Amino acid sequence: MKAAVLRYRVMAYITGVVLIVLCFVGIPLQVAGHPAVANDVGVLHGILYIIYLVCAWILSRKLALATKPTVIMLLAGTIPIMTFIVERWVTRRFINPALAAQPQPAQPVRP
Amino acid sequence: MENAAPATPAEDAAPARGGPVWRFLIQPRWVGWHLLMVVSFWGMLWLGDWQFHRAISGNGLSWAYTFEWPLFACFAVVFWAKTIKDEFRIKRGLVPGTAESAPGLDDLPVTVRAVQASTAPPEEDEDEELSAYNAYLARLNAEVKHHGRWHGWRS
Repeated sequence: MKAAVLRYRVMAYITGVVLIVLCFVGIPLQVAGHPAVANDVGVLHGILYIIYLVCAWILSRKLALATKPTVIMLLAGTIPIMTFIVERWVTRRFINPALAAQPQPAQPVRP
Repeated sequence: MENAAPATPAEDAAPARGGPVWRFLIQPRWVGWHLLMVVSFWGMLWLGDWQFHRAISGNGLSWAYTFEWPLFACFAVVFWAKTIKDEFRIKRGLVPGTAESAPGLDDLPVTVRAVQASTAPPEEDEDEELSAYNAYLARLNAEVKHHGRWHGWRS
């Protein structure tokens, strides 16, 4: 569970950063006549998004999410900045409650 | 169709409120999901085809997308199938969960567990703070019960 959360978070942030670079650096440069950045970063985002999809999907299954939040999670990787917002939302709304509800480990953890 | 086919053992095992378990698949909301599925699947295949034509007419970059779009289309189908499968398991009262996860870990939304905890006969040594919190969670759950799905939890 924690591993799935970590994988999702890492991919959400990487995908989000690459998408921001693509949209706010690559696209303006492409408009200005230098398409190289947009081309390379575009393909990179495509590949990262596939990995993001898989990670987000696995996490959504572990959290037993309904269809709508799952779709929001999956599509967040295609909208700039959305991954960060959705990651925070999912954390607050689903991940933290799920983690809090997990049975405590056998050895009591000393504060 | 209602009275035609004899119910399978699985359907017998789960006496749903009205009719066989699969009936939820033809609810308007689910039909909406099916339609969205079909449209997005063919849409993605079409986009892949479009990228393929761009690729063979000289746009080398399109090769990546030529393979990516069909992959997304397949992913959508897997997503759709798995969602329906999970829904069947929930409707039949089987607890969804994977073998490698600890029992009871990821099975239920936390609110459902809280309600179960709060409706269980109170134990003598139960923490007062905990029961108050459970009651609070149960209240929250009751508040969002009717629009639970749109807030994330299966209602």
